[in-house]
Amino acid sequence: MRQYILRRCLYMVPTLFVVTVVVFLMLRFLPGDVVHQMLEGYAYAPTVEALRRELGLDKPLLVQYGTWLADIFRGDLGHSLWTKQPLLQEFARRFPVTLELAILTLLVSVVLGVGIGVLSAVRQDSWADYSGRVFAILMLAIPPFWLAVLVVVLPSIYLQWTPVWTYVPFTQDPLENLKIMSIPALVFGLTRAGPIMRIMRSAMLEVMRQDYIRTAWSKGLAEQVIITRHALKNALIPVVSIIGIQMPFLIGGSVIIESIFRLPGVGQFFFEALIRRDYPTVQGINLILATFVVLLNLVVDISYAYLDPRIRYR
Amino acid sequence: MQQAGVGIGIQGVWKRRLPWWGEVLVRLVRTKPLGLTGAIILLLMLFAAAFAEVITPYGYAETNLSDRFAGYSRAHWLGADHLGRDLFTRIVYGARISLSVGFAAVVIASVVALLIGVPSAYLGGRTDLVVQRFVDAWMAFPGLLILLTVLSLTGPGLVQITVVLGISSGIGNSRVIRGVALSIKENQYIEAARAIGANPLRIMLVHVVPNTMATVIVLATIGLGVIILTEASLSFLGYGVPPPHPTWGGMLSLEGLRYMYDAPWMAIWPGVALSLAVFAFNMFGDALRDLLDPRLRGAG
Repeated sequence: MRQYILRRCLYMVPTLFVVTVVVFLMLRFLPGDVVHQMLEGYAYAPTVEALRRELGLDKPLLVQYGTWLADIFRGDLGHSLWTKQPLLQEFARRFPVTLELAILTLLVSVVLGVGIGVLSAVRQDSWADYSGRVFAILMLAIPPFWLAVLVVVLPSIYLQWTPVWTYVPFTQDPLENLKIMSIPALVFGLTRAGPIMRIMRSAMLEVMRQDYIRTAWSKGLAEQVIITRHALKNALIPVVSIIGIQMPFLIGGSVIIESIFRLPGVGQFFFEALIRRDYPTVQGINLILATFVVLLNLVVDISYAYLDPRIRYR
Repeated sequence: MQQAGVGIGIQGVWKRRLPWWGEVLVRLVRTKPLGLTGAIILLLMLFAAAFAEVITPYGYAETNLSDRFAGYSRAHWLGADHLGRDLFTRIVYGARISLSVGFAAVVIASVVALLIGVPSAYLGGRTDLVVQRFVDAWMAFPGLLILLTVLSLTGPGLVQITVVLGISSGIGNSRVIRGVALSIKENQYIEAARAIGANPLRIMLVHVVPNTMATVIVLATIGLGVIILTEASLSFLGYGVPPPHPTWGGMLSLEGLRYMYDAPWMAIWPGVALSLAVFAFNMFGDALRDLLDPRLRGAG
């Protein structure tokens, strides 16, 4: 086990290195110059050259990359072009909101996905199965932003009920915070339950056909015991891996959900930076979130190996 | 799948005369009611998109100020928007844009996936190691954020969004193509081709790529739904296909949101059309996956 974890950690290093290269090059090679953006209408410096020098963009590409990488190792992810605020500080202030949204969304989608998936598999080809599957695919087809808009707008038009969406931090008032976060999480979670449900269903179907389940049936165990204690435990393993795959979607999708529900998370921060073309911020957020996803995938892989010892021997 | 297996046994004699897609079609009709429903919805949408001029009573940019915010009526089946444009007309034209972006992006995605996946698997070794780390890195980025970043740099536009969506989805799909190519590589006919001195390029083009086609088609069908949804999300955030082209996502965001309280239909119907299209693609894609490449089950 220790060797497996070590090997997975080692794989992470080149991936993270490439992440930095991709982030860096993307913003340098694509058309659209930061300097011209800043000078047009804002006059941050007298000339293009002066600003270029000030931002360190006149140096060779390799030097720029080296400086950036060295700064990252020192824990300095750069500063906003406009506000000159250190990025990490701004990010740390907003990340809890996004993380909370992601965790609650995950919770909703796992509970729904696992529940419907198990029911669908246990009652295969029944009405419950068909309606469960249609529901899952339908939810997968509904754009989260549309569902969110409907949830915000329809009650206020037809029921004259307009909830107030003022964010309260969890540490300040946990109950009020959960009240506010529950609706965005429910909306987003509903639309993400589909993939989990489908994996759960197919894994459960596979497990239910195994010999040891037949043995359990022939021993005369109750259905509930067989499903929850014998089948579900093993069928849950692939679900763990899908959670890792879902994470980038959850964080990416939070941009939209946060902007509709006016949650002060990373999504909104990123979007504002994008509109202002604040590239160091955009670059930094992409880097931090990608690193977060890589780390999370590592955790998922390790727990996967822990749950299913066969993985390690691959 | 079991039913399909029985079907082949019984009808083996006449079925052999059908081309492979004919066989798939027969099995789709017989064993996959949900997939068939999806296919029919898609055909209807394709038909509407192709003959939008004939079907719709108005032009998509035709304004009629006396009909501003008109509700459901004979003249406007789904109501009219803030400029008095017919919503039904705009949704039908929206199908044209969404489906064109989707299909073009999927073609690009398939080419990119093959270009990355097949050489990575066939050449193996160091090439594979390096290429796969790039794929890993790309897949680590939260999808929408990286697309927004790229689009903010390239600027919005029909071509830009199609290319960006195609490439990014292609990089993701290349992982699956690589897996398939790895197993194809182990076949004896590949070894035979190598033994008679065929060069790697020829082997990849003539022997590996054609055998990945089932997977490519399945990935494309499933990917279409995701791409259309992503395009709509980007349009919703203001980075999609710019006006005056009517797109479903754009109709929801720009006009739909602003006038939602006066004319809720402006926000409802484009969303319904969008969901229906993605739903149909998913149903059809799932059925195709079961029929063409059961190994991929659970991958989407």
